[in-house]
Amino acid sequence: MFSIRTEGLRKQFGAVKALDGVSFDLSAGLLHGLIGSDGAGKTTTLRLLAGLLRPSAGEVLYYRDGKDSSFAEMRPSLAYMPQQASLYPDLSVGEHLEFFRELYRLDAATFTRRSGELLEITRLDKFRERRAGKLSGGMYKKLGLMCALLQSPSVLLLDEPTNGVDPISRREFWELLYALAAKKILIIVSTAYMDEAERCSRVHLLDRGRLLSSGEPREVLKAAGAASFEEIFIKGGGR
Amino acid sequence: MNPTLKAFIKKELVQTLRDTRMRVLLFGAPILQLTIFGLALSTEIKNIKLAVFSQPGDTAAVRLAEDFYSSGWFKPSVFRPGEDPFELIGSGRADAVLIMPAGGLGRAAGRAEGRMQLLVDASNATKARVVEAYARTITARAAAAYGPAPEQPLSFDVRVLYNPAMESSLFLVPGVMGMLVCLVTIILTAMSLTRERELGTFETIVSAPLSDAEILLGKTLPFVLLGLVVFSLVLTAAHLIFGVPVRGPLWQLFLAAFVFVVTTVSVGTSISTLAKNQQQAMLGGFMFLFPAILMSGIMYPVENMPAAVIGAAYLDPLMYFMRLLRSIMLKGGDLQVFWTNVGALALMAVFAAGLAYNRFKQTLD
Repeated sequence: MFSIRTEGLRKQFGAVKALDGVSFDLSAGLLHGLIGSDGAGKTTTLRLLAGLLRPSAGEVLYYRDGKDSSFAEMRPSLAYMPQQASLYPDLSVGEHLEFFRELYRLDAATFTRRSGELLEITRLDKFRERRAGKLSGGMYKKLGLMCALLQSPSVLLLDEPTNGVDPISRREFWELLYALAAKKILIIVSTAYMDEAERCSRVHLLDRGRLLSSGEPREVLKAAGAASFEEIFIKGGGR
Repeated sequence: MNPTLKAFIKKELVQTLRDTRMRVLLFGAPILQLTIFGLALSTEIKNIKLAVFSQPGDTAAVRLAEDFYSSGWFKPSVFRPGEDPFELIGSGRADAVLIMPAGGLGRAAGRAEGRMQLLVDASNATKARVVEAYARTITARAAAAYGPAPEQPLSFDVRVLYNPAMESSLFLVPGVMGMLVCLVTIILTAMSLTRERELGTFETIVSAPLSDAEILLGKTLPFVLLGLVVFSLVLTAAHLIFGVPVRGPLWQLFLAAFVFVVTTVSVGTSISTLAKNQQQAMLGGFMFLFPAILMSGIMYPVENMPAAVIGAAYLDPLMYFMRLLRSIMLKGGDLQVFWTNVGALALMAVFAAGLAYNRFKQTLD
């Protein structure tokens, strides 16, 4: 099981400070939420954790079963689902699975078992032949998640996976995440929907590149003396 | 084969070949363009409008005029008796005017004074030179009827090699083939990579546990294969439509095509790293293509260009490929010419691939 810690993480794009000294712990087997409005630094944080960006200052530390580890060791067990459309509109559901199977070098037996399970859980088995560009918003996100999960990752980074998805599909998506968290996968999900914060086991509130607070949702609300996360942003560091 | 490369090749081929418009662009358009360019880019000048001014009853002049018109190069220009020959050329109704001697051509030739005047429209200098050369050939042939020509102390017999009929299509079609392969591979590679970035799928691939080299090879190898398929297609079309021969060995032709396609795909990759969207990628592709085509020698000999341009032409991969195609297809593929040009092209391929890899790595970071 992997866990991650960030220490004083900073990222600067030219004159813009995207992240300004963010430190938090991401313990294994929990569903972590990076909560914040647009431009809070959620995507930058996830991209730093996924190794797609290098920090301007500070560091990301990786641990495996409580012992020091490295990004290189974690990389084969990491799956990242970007915020924007991360699929090929002209490839079918089945062709996506085949493509990612080769990228992750899964053997035939593992692939058959995993893809069968995932198609059943996501209820996309009837749409195997449908092209990604013809899927509904919710189904599209589920396919993205399915491709990320094909390799059975230990660390799953999801950037606003429910953005633009209807409420029923959003609920289904979160149920899927709970099922995954129960398998002791470290899940880090970013969202701008404040109501989704309460669905996480740990929340990390980001605002304009700074970490406002971290902890269990109830504790964070209690400490801030607010009834909802929306209220924290309106009252406190929010815009 | 490495499963990652296999997956990329399969995916790119499925994506490219599934789209009907792409299939037409990839396989239909090059054949159509080859046919159009092969026919339109002719250096032979035909249908030259010629007006012959002669005295009535000058049968020798009429016979010579018929020699001109039956040559296939000239056609009669329509004019009224007494019209000004300069006016005829000025108005564009004639490209050339042949004025016979006042007392009749036959009589003047009998006195060895058969001097005619040829007025030529030189607003197109190339065309004017060709008209003059044609006229000299026809009058020299006609002069034989008036007895043997005076002995010349120096003379030569001309033997035209490799293209005895001097068909311009044999010279131009191999050039157009190279141009089309260059166009398809550069534009397709640059646009595919930029599209991947635009779609956001690039991040997914980059975050997968793959090495930089695997990603780069996976994204470029399919276009090397497609480039070779397009090359085979235009080669077949050139042979069937224009009768362009392949006198040299096929291995030379395909090895040259492979090295060239690796170079152009690498150039396409480098362009994609500079482009933010597919429009920019296409524009970048054409910014490379236009000078590359002009400096390649497809249409104008490189040797005729100013020294600075000749220097730049030596950096143009299309120039080497052009020389190789003409040498292998028309002249049987001299090994020294082959290895010199393939060697130069291979150096460019290594440099372009290195540049593409570095640029690609920078965009990954």
